[in-house]
This record gives sequence, C-alpha cells and structure tokens, in this order.
Amino acid sequence: MNGVYQWLVALHQQNPHLIKALLAGTMVSTVCGVVGCFIVLRRTSFLADALAHSMLAGVVCGYLFMKLVFSVPASAPAMLLGSLLAGFITVGMVGFVSKFSRVKEDAVIGVMYTGIFAFGGVLLSFFSQHVHVDLVHFLTGDVLAVRDADLWMMAGVTAGVLAVIILCFRPLQLISFDTVMAASIGIPVLALDYLLTICTSLVVVSGVNIVGVILVVGLLITPASTAYMLCDRLSRMLVVSALFGFLSFAIGYAFSEKLNVAPGSAVVLVSALQFMLIFFVAPRYGFLADWMRRRRSVPQQLIEDVLGCVLRAPGLAVGMETIYQHVAGGTDRIQRAIRSLERREWLQVEGRTVKLTDDGRREAKRVLRSHRLWESYLAHVGTPEEELHHQAHRLEHLHDEATVDYLDDKLGHPTKDPHGAAIPEDFVHLTPGATVKAALLRQGHQGVVVSVGPLASKTPLRAGMTVTSCPRQGDDDVWVFTTDTSEQVQLDHKTADDVVVRLSGNGD
Amino acid sequence: MDTSPAAIEVENLTVSYGPVPALLDVSFAIPPGQLVGVIGPNGSGKSTLIKAILGFVKPDLGTVKLFGEPADHAIGRVAYVPQRGSVDWDFPVTVRDVALMGRYGHVSWWKDLTAEDKRIAEEALEMVRMSEFRDRQIGQLSGGQQQRVFMARAMTQGADILLLDEPFAGVDAATEHAILDVLERTKASGRTLVVVHHDLSTADEYFDALLLLKQRLFAFGPPATVLHPELLCEVYEGALRVFADLSAKGDSQ
Repeated sequence: MNGVYQWLVALHQQNPHLIKALLAGTMVSTVCGVVGCFIVLRRTSFLADALAHSMLAGVVCGYLFMKLVFSVPASAPAMLLGSLLAGFITVGMVGFVSKFSRVKEDAVIGVMYTGIFAFGGVLLSFFSQHVHVDLVHFLTGDVLAVRDADLWMMAGVTAGVLAVIILCFRPLQLISFDTVMAASIGIPVLALDYLLTICTSLVVVSGVNIVGVILVVGLLITPASTAYMLCDRLSRMLVVSALFGFLSFAIGYAFSEKLNVAPGSAVVLVSALQFMLIFFVAPRYGFLADWMRRRRSVPQQLIEDVLGCVLRAPGLAVGMETIYQHVAGGTDRIQRAIRSLERREWLQVEGRTVKLTDDGRREAKRVLRSHRLWESYLAHVGTPEEELHHQAHRLEHLHDEATVDYLDDKLGHPTKDPHGAAIPEDFVHLTPGATVKAALLRQGHQGVVVSVGPLASKTPLRAGMTVTSCPRQGDDDVWVFTTDTSEQVQLDHKTADDVVVRLSGNGD
Repeated sequence: MDTSPAAIEVENLTVSYGPVPALLDVSFAIPPGQLVGVIGPNGSGKSTLIKAILGFVKPDLGTVKLFGEPADHAIGRVAYVPQRGSVDWDFPVTVRDVALMGRYGHVSWWKDLTAEDKRIAEEALEMVRMSEFRDRQIGQLSGGQQQRVFMARAMTQGADILLLDEPFAGVDAATEHAILDVLERTKASGRTLVVVHHDLSTADEYFDALLLLKQRLFAFGPPATVLHPELLCEVYEGALRVFADLSAKGDSQ
C-alpha cells in the first residue's frame, strides 16, 4: 500500500496532469460502465448518443449566458447545467414528437439531436468572439486537459450516480424488465425513467471530457455489452461492466502514453477489442461456444439414417463397418450419432455390432413409413422418378403424427411405395384394443365394428360384427373385408373411412 | 352477518382510446376463489379490461372495485402475469430473481430483502415445481417453465387476484396441462384468477366461469350458458369454424 502511495506522490510531483487524468478516467469509465448496463438493456443507446450530441448547444448556451449576463468566463457549473438542460429538451422533444407524429422514434431522435447539435454549432460560430469553447476538444475529448473543477464535478457525478443506482437497484431492475408489474406494485415508473435519464446525462457530460462527444457512447455501451455476454444476473453485470470500463481506460490510456496517440480513441478502441474478444470466447453466449455446440450436436438426419440402416439389416443387427459404408458422413460423426442413439436407448452396442431396441425399431419404422409415404406423395404430385428417393430423403424428417396421417389419408392409405416396397402400417394407431377407421386396416387385421356412418349404412356392415381385413383389390383402392358370417364386403376409401372398428387384441 | 365483497366488481365501465370505445358499459362481479376465462375476438377489449383492473387505464366512466375497495387503493392485491411474447427473455435475471421480484412491493427500495422474502420465493418456486431451475437464466427454459416462473412471481407477491394474459399461447398440449394444473392449485389456495383465453374449444373444461367480451359484455356465467352457439355467432361474426366445432360438440353429446 505504502509503495503505491509513494509512487503516486512521485508521479504527481513529476507530472500533475497525469494523475488527474488517471483519477478522472477511472471514475468516469467505471460509472459509465454501470449506467451503460441500463442503456443496453433498455435499448436506449441511440438516445444516449443523442444526449451526448445535444450537449454542444447546452455548453455554448451556458457559456454565453454566464459571459453575457455576469461576464464570467468559462463557468463549469453553468456549462454543466446547460448540458443537462439541453439533454432534457432533447429527450422531451423526442417524446413529444414521436407521440404526436407517425414518424417512428429512432428517426425522431435522429432529427432532434442533429438539429440541436447544429444549433449549438451555429451559436458557437456566430458568437465566436465571445465563446472560447474548443470544438475539437469537445468532439474528441482530452483527458490530459482535465482541470480541478472538472475533477470535482466528475467525483460528484460518480458518487451521486452510483449511490442512486445502488439505492434504487431493485426498482430500476424492475422498470427495465417489466414496466407493467413495476407500475402495478406502485413503483413510480415515469419518475424513475427521468432519474435514469438524468444519470445518463450526468455521466455523458463527464464522459465527454475524457473521450469526446462522438466516442462517449462507446464508453457507455461497449463495456456493458461485453458484460452482457458474460452475465446472467443484473447485479453481476453491473460490476463486470464497471470492471471492463476501467480496464479499457487503463489499458487504452497506457497505450496512448506509450505510442503518443489520442487517448480517447485508444480507450474506446481497447473497449471495442475487448468486446470482440468476449464475443468470440464467452463461455455460453459466445460465438465459439455456439459453434462448438452446433458441431457437437448430431444432426437429426444422420440419426435417422443410422436407424434406417440398422432396420434394413437382417435380424435388426449390423456391424459398425456396414453402417460406415451405407450412411453418408464421417466416421466420427456416425460414431457420435450411434452414441447419442445408445443414450436414448434406441440402439444397443455390443462390441462392433449394433442392435435396435424395441423403442429404436418403432422409431426406425416411423422414419421408414414417413420416407415411403413421402416418396408416394412426390410421385403423386409428379416428381420425376430419379429424384424421388433424394427428395423423400430430405422430407422424411417431417414425420410428426399429423403430417404422416395427412399424407397417408390423402394418398388413400397406400400399402406400397412407387418402387413397390411395402410401407409399414400405421403402427401408431393400430394397437390392440384401439378404435380406428376401417381404412387403416391391413391384411390380417381383425376387429369388431363399433359404428357405421351414413355412407357405409348401405353396406351389410353393422355395429357388433367381427370383420377380418383381406388383401386390397383394384389399384390398391378397394378394401375387402370378410364378416363373421363369411360374407365378403368391398368398400372404397370414403366408405371405409366411415366405418369405425375396435381392433382385437393379441390376447383375446 | 356481513356478506363478503366480490373479489372483482366492475360497474358500468367504459374506456376509450379514440372515438370508438374499447369497453362499453361493462358490469360484472367475480366472487373470490374462481377461475374465470375472458374470451372474445381479437380487439374485443380483453387486454383493456385487464389494464383497467390493474388500474392502468383511466376509465371514461365506471368503477373497478377489488374486495370492495377502489382499484387504486388495492395496489399489491393484484398480480399480473404478462404474455410470453412481451417479456425480454435475454434479460440477465435468473428464475430466483424473478420469483423474488414479487417481494419488491413489500420492502423499502433501499433495504435488503429479508430471509423471509427469500423463503416465500423459494416456496412459490416449489409450488410451481421450478426449484431445481432456480439459478437458470430465464431464456434457458422451455415455454411452459417460463410461464410457471411468472406464476411463482405472482404468488410471492401475496396477491389475492391474479390476472393472466394468454398463458396458453404457443405452448404444446402437455405444457398446457402443466400450466392448468398450477392454475388449479392456485385457485385451491383461495385466490381469484382471471385468464385471457383465445381457444374456445378448451374454454368449457378449463374455467368455472367465462366472460364473453366484444366491447360490450355479451355474457358472464358458467361455460355451458356462455358458449351458446347463437351468442358466439353474434360475437364472432363470420368465424364459422368455431361455430361448426361447437355445434359438432353439441351433437356428440
């Protein structure tokens, strides 16, 4: 501790500007980071930018007022007050105009702040013999030119703003997250909105001294955005953002001293680089993490290809090598797919052999049924034969129950796909004891008729009869049933849909 | 012996934003401990009614009383569960943070939350079966879980009346039942729930009573009387499918 103190004293004696700059930068960058969190979360970055620009008019007005009325040159409090006032007028005008015109808020902000900034510029040049405000200083800031009065102002702002945010943390969190609830428990939402705007204006005014009007937004929102990618709680985000703010100032300032470049730009540049770094490496919301997650996840298509490959093998078991041969995709990706299937208990792996479990067989049949129904559908809508398989392969992943049922019904419950391969029956609905439309039945199914609709009432079928399904006739579009009196009944699709049958169970 | 006042009593409520009223002469009284659904076509004033009960819109005419007191005296007795689409799910808050928000109205701004507040929040999370997710950021939850977190918040508020804006919008059937289960249990604890609902086909099995709204109050009562085909046809003019579904339902009974 003592050593640091000695060093600071020595530094101060050698170069009094340096230590003032350090103090000013530390305070401002920290408090900017904290306030920036609310700006980022409330999506008011552009308004903060507008506040910064409108300051020019405020500073000039404050300067002129004191100079012309009291003949006091360069009064810091007057300029501060002027800036705040200009900020408020900007916010007020933006609110007023966007409420009463069809122009959307972002455009209104753009109109207002450039207008007010330009007004400041006109005033400044018109009264150039009275006003000695350095426009370049104002635009780019100069941390080395910080005077004692500025330093006191910054200390006051930092202490005040931090106190407000710590004391009102919960209400501020709530109005940023859920205005309706905040209002419903009696929190004065509008007053707190204004409080946050005052805090932003104050912080912007102090920030302009360090990095200038143009870059002050960077000082506000870059550390906050960086922290946003790392934190899942607002309280933590505030601290981390303050830390990033301070770090970007410390590193940027050190560089600017070493390389003799503009400190404001160096600070904001470091801040932006920090942001990009965290954007890539953030553990949860970072780009690399996202990329790794996507890489590690096994695509559904591969999973289903592996399932289909095992289903087609005799005995529902197959060696790993066969899968590698038949399924497109790298070996390690296929292995990941197999492991993922094993975790879902759809596959059993014994040594180099892969076996389907009961659940896995069901899943594989679902894919196969979907694939062949899609092929039939594609043929039905006139897709060239050589494209059938490829297209159906893409579409078979749309195999939710409703989709498959729709295709099946639209195509007249086909039993064979265009290549003549059997389409698995509707195993979702065809379970023992289930009531289904007779159109779903395949050869060999037996059941008791539950109801006969108006269309089917002309047929000999009546509720209570036991029917057995025979092979279809015609172009796969004539349903044939035999009743318990050995009578044969032929139905078309619509009529078969009109008969509801309870399937006999295996047990009874 | 005094008769206990209605949980929500709305009298001659008229609200307007422009030349056309959003609500016109709406009067009803909901007794405590009921699960009430608010139904009506788009733009029928359902959310305006919720806002009026919350005290957010100034009525042109009429009063809203909660347990016999004017709504603005009853701050904190009503909790609001927002529509899922209106929440910023990327906001840095955890499940526990959200549940704790319900206690904000009970503690001065500058004071810390007490152990009691934390216990209440924990209990509410337990009740909606979300305790194991307490440290998750809210964006990392499924739709139904997100809805349950906000239910927990409404409960930690200690409110007697809960207003829910379309809690079943955009969730699957299983989730819908999980949410309904939470609603039922909340009702069983003696609270009054008012739920904006858009799915007429489930309205009769979910709610004790229904409010059929289209600017005016068309019906208020048990689902069987409110879901009258002629009434619905009048309110949902042209929405034939709804009508067809319901008459089909009637036929099969």
